[in-house]
Amino acid sequence: MTSRRQMLKSALLGGGATVVAATAMGSLGPEAAFATDRAQEVDPGAPDPNFAEGRIRSIKDNTLLVLGSNLVFHNIRVVDGTSLWKLGPVGFDQAKPGDGLYARGVRMPDGVLAAESVWLNIVNIKGHIKNITSDKIHLDHNGQEVLCHVVAGKSVAVHSDAPASGDLSMLRVSQHVQILGAWRPDTNEVDIATVFSPH
Amino acid sequence: MVRRQPTEPPADLYAAVRGEVSWFCCGTAWGPCSTTGKGACGTCNSGSLQHAWPNTSNACWDITRPDRCGVSLSRRTCGFRHRTTALCSGASVVTSIADCGPQTDLFCGEQSCCGSTCASNRLIDLTPAAYSAIASLSTGLRPAEIDTA
Repeated sequence: MTSRRQMLKSALLGGGATVVAATAMGSLGPEAAFATDRAQEVDPGAPDPNFAEGRIRSIKDNTLLVLGSNLVFHNIRVVDGTSLWKLGPVGFDQAKPGDGLYARGVRMPDGVLAAESVWLNIVNIKGHIKNITSDKIHLDHNGQEVLCHVVAGKSVAVHSDAPASGDLSMLRVSQHVQILGAWRPDTNEVDIATVFSPH
Repeated sequence: MVRRQPTEPPADLYAAVRGEVSWFCCGTAWGPCSTTGKGACGTCNSGSLQHAWPNTSNACWDITRPDRCGVSLSRRTCGFRHRTTALCSGASVVTSIADCGPQTDLFCGEQSCCGSTCASNRLIDLTPAAYSAIASLSTGLRPAEIDTA
């Protein structure tokens, strides 16, 4: 069976690195994509060369030029089967200069990261709710307020193991939650994908 | 005041323990993560294969308090290695301790499931590099099995 990583390598080495409309997880389901038998190539505690983070400086053809927060540049190649996320599955055209990102893929001999997945502006923050309205949550995150926007049709709440619900009315002031969402670049604001609540 | 830990054997002493795994950012970063530091061990980076553990010291335990959720965990310090296996996919990653966390008691009783396979209480937080090796970052929270490596 051809693994996803082999597919990415062949897409690059075979010259098939054309950009297509990125799918949620290519041809694989979201959990199945991680079920391949990968031997860990990196020592625990060490930087993972098959992972990159930073902000997009520019976009050329199918390559994102990203400046890492540690000031190291990354060339991240989006290929057939790369999944992109920005509050949900999106196409490559949604990647913009200024976006923050995390990316995982396969580091090629020339240093390019052939991306399996790119998560644009994704944040996963914990805090307590200072205030809540029908369309906003004011979250105290480590003493800093983050304004979290409810996005109709996208934002859901997960109360422990109950199914995700678009009804966020059960959330309460002072409650501790985890908010997964998409940061609005250069602001203290986030669009909500999921609010995780323990009850 | 230093809080005494429970006297019963930690749940993870002789066997793997099941709990929830999430991810957190640390080190130099963008967005809301830009104010986070390098963690309790001073080495934490989002791009490294690392994790936070609720019992790295007495001071850490006083913050995280997994015992309030009925969970006792072993004292393990910076650099100690754990293997985290996602119960949804079976994928695993070995990471080393770089921070104190998660704050287990704030989510007591919370449960995550994959079908009929479930795990309760937040026992470990992985860096984005580590979490993305076993699950999509967009899942945010997953049931997992945690063992020594």
